[in-house]
Amino acid sequence: MRVLEIQRLEVVYHRSITAVQGISLKVEPAQIVALLGTNGAGKTTTLRAISGFLGLDDARVTDGAVIFKGERIENSAPHENTARGIALVPERDKVFPNLTVAENLIAPIPRAAGAAERRRREMLVYQFFPRLSELRNRIAGLLSGGERQMLALGSALACAPQLLLVDELSLGLAPVVVNDLLRRLAEIRHELGLTILMVEQSAAIAFEVADYCYVMENGKIVLDGMAERLRGHPDVQEFYLGGKSGERRSYRDIRQYRRRRRWYG
Amino acid sequence: MQLIVNIIVLAAIYALLACGYVLIYRVSRVMNMAHGELSMLGAYLLFATASLFATHPLTAIASSAIMSIALGTLVYVLLMRKMTGEMVLAAILTTIAIGILLRGLIVLVWSAAQQHPLEALHLSNPPIEIVGGARISTCAALLVLMTALVYGGLFTFLRFGRWGVRMRAAGQNALLASQRGINLHAIYALAWALSTFTGSIAGMLIALDSGLDQTMVVIGLKAFAPALVGGLDSLLGALAGAFIVAGAEVLAIHYIDPLLSDVVPFLVIIATLIVRPWGLFGTQEELDRV
Amino acid sequence: MSRVPRASGYFRTSYAQDLALLRTGFELACLAGFLVTLAAFPFVASPFQLDLACQVFLACVGSLSLMLLTGYAGQISLGHAGLIAAGAFTVGILFREMNAQFWVTLPAAALVGAALGIIFGLPSLRLRGLYLAVSTLALHFVVIYAGGEYESRRGFSTGIVIDPPSLGGVSITSGRAWYLILLLAAAATLFVCLNLLRARTGRAWGAIRAHETVAEALGIAIARYKLLAFVISSAITAVAGALFAYYRGFVSVEAFSLFLTVQYLAMVIVGGMGSLLGAILGAAFITVFPYVIEGALLALPGAQNFAGLLFAVNYAAFGLVMIFFLVLEPLGLVGMWRRVQSYFLLWPYARRSATGVRR
Repeated sequence: MRVLEIQRLEVVYHRSITAVQGISLKVEPAQIVALLGTNGAGKTTTLRAISGFLGLDDARVTDGAVIFKGERIENSAPHENTARGIALVPERDKVFPNLTVAENLIAPIPRAAGAAERRRREMLVYQFFPRLSELRNRIAGLLSGGERQMLALGSALACAPQLLLVDELSLGLAPVVVNDLLRRLAEIRHELGLTILMVEQSAAIAFEVADYCYVMENGKIVLDGMAERLRGHPDVQEFYLGGKSGERRSYRDIRQYRRRRRWYG
Repeated sequence: MQLIVNIIVLAAIYALLACGYVLIYRVSRVMNMAHGELSMLGAYLLFATASLFATHPLTAIASSAIMSIALGTLVYVLLMRKMTGEMVLAAILTTIAIGILLRGLIVLVWSAAQQHPLEALHLSNPPIEIVGGARISTCAALLVLMTALVYGGLFTFLRFGRWGVRMRAAGQNALLASQRGINLHAIYALAWALSTFTGSIAGMLIALDSGLDQTMVVIGLKAFAPALVGGLDSLLGALAGAFIVAGAEVLAIHYIDPLLSDVVPFLVIIATLIVRPWGLFGTQEELDRV
Repeated sequence: MSRVPRASGYFRTSYAQDLALLRTGFELACLAGFLVTLAAFPFVASPFQLDLACQVFLACVGSLSLMLLTGYAGQISLGHAGLIAAGAFTVGILFREMNAQFWVTLPAAALVGAALGIIFGLPSLRLRGLYLAVSTLALHFVVIYAGGEYESRRGFSTGIVIDPPSLGGVSITSGRAWYLILLLAAAATLFVCLNLLRARTGRAWGAIRAHETVAEALGIAIARYKLLAFVISSAITAVAGALFAYYRGFVSVEAFSLFLTVQYLAMVIVGGMGSLLGAILGAAFITVFPYVIEGALLALPGAQNFAGLLFAVNYAAFGLVMIFFLVLEPLGLVGMWRRVQSYFLLWPYARRSATGVRR
């Protein structure tokens, strides 16, 4: 059964601003799917629509459906979706800054799960992120960017999810750190069979790890396909990958009004 | 010796009221400025039930306690729930507005005259002699006992089942907490119910001890000082702060000037904010962080 | 700075046009009409309505200063009533001790307000949000305590009586004269606020309110501007207090309770945060509100029974209105107005797309 399906989703802020205008996408089990696009395309809004809105900015899903494992979940509360098996790693405010690393990892674990289960989940996180084990008693607000991202991923894993939503994994991190995180993400997918939907501004990074990609602009999906095919797509190369490598192009040729995109957003 | 007894009694009052502030702050970063009014409401409810159950004081007390818990939860569900995740200033102002509304309603229902639930219950409040010739009234002694019981209960509850960590997490980052499976509404409702419960117990006992009128709101406001001094999200801090503020107030009244009683807690607040804003045991929030 | 949606055809082509207070001919016409109404009002209104208008103008001064501090500079202050009390008490003390006239007491009140503004503002350099609010609250109680002490030490336990100000030997007591004076005071305050906001100070405040650390990184001296916000706002508030003292002819510490602060905060909230128009609308709304409640109550049958409870009904109704605006209409009266404006300007489109939005 498909893990996630979104049909003609429409999300509106403040009852007057349409951030997502009727998108549809599918995520198969154990796939890594990337959602690409520039700022303001509506990618984060899509992730939050899946994970659940808290009513901030008066955001709501006004049309369409979000179907998780056959069940319609749009406009559910975030904690209900976490119980269903969806975990979101947000772009900002991704850890609890005044709790220790260990407390960050046990806070998501429900009280109903016994002490043994709690220990098992903690150990699982330390297995994928050994560095966190060393930092167990450090206050989370004092961690470096890379460590914080690891903690954010770890606390999402501690929810024992079946679908992991990652928002802007690479933002503000050094390339070395990003590569390391991507490697671990692939490891997690391989060992746990976890399905991952990631939002990325950097297309290069997304193509490295994803199986399937969707490109969003202005709240709509304009292109989608397998990662290898998209990587060679001339429009994607032009607008998201900085042009074909190894070729010298004159600025006159690259200017946007000369080069029409083959899709219309 | 009498001074020490007075300090202990005042500290018990402050501690019982302060833990209400701490509970709500811990989960939602909101300073519940209606706490004084809600506690007062509990006392007035006792007065109402006292007239009904004049011969069964325990029933009266129990029923008014239950009603005030229900009211606290209701206040949350109807009003504060909509403010979840919103700007903290807006939430605080909403609590101020609720307090004003309650004050108006209380006067409308029960009038502004001083009431005596003790008489309505046909109970008496004889002073008890203790060591060193000091005296303490029965109700005040009960108050100290209740404070100890309540704190004992709260400490156990928070250690059990990871409630303590989840409540603090909800207070630090509501959205993330919700995304990590913490049911915000349940935790907030619980905090409000507990807070109103402890507040109304305090209100009831104060009313039984020394009569009931609108001045209880002032005590509620003064009780914020111990919460701040100890650290707004620490119960232990509330207890410690209660002793500090009560001590300062009683000694100031005794040795300097009786009129200072209303100002001392605020002077303590100012001193705390200058020296150590997050209080003695509070989480050292990054007050300058983005 | 302008968040008013405008119909197509309106273009700004120079900086002067950007800074101008009146942007279109239509706005100028509206303002002229409004001024004519204001000028004609005293000649057609009853003394009660005149008094009401005076109270609204007085409230405007206070609410504009609070809007500057909280709505624009983003510093939360719960000490407003304390500052008003300080201004009023300055007038009272100077009048009683030295028989000083208004041309001495008003500037003195402003100075006292400014000095207190520094004290109220110092915590803002280290604290934010709730902690700052609590510090201002504590200072409010200290000021009130000092006022109470003065009253009891000097034997004015029922309050200080002040003679009305006199200009050239003529005592100012008529309703129309006060209407003019307070209207000018409110207009002057509005003008000062408008100018502060379109100058560098206003922009610095906006930056500090939006994101303090970034503002500092951009080179804005946040300590200086925060203190400036407190000082200016407090000075204006103290002058409001002084005017209040002269208008009522009476100063007593009971008039400056926490409820007064809440009323001013309500004016700012109900009117709409971050908008001077909001401050004025809020001031008008909150000032007139108790009278509306009283009128409604007296219109009910059996009104005599309720007369004693009027104060409590006012309280309760006030709480309800505040809750209504906070929970259901956080953008206030101005927000309602802007929604109506947007609806007509965007019609027939109900919504705009995300990329068209300037945050």
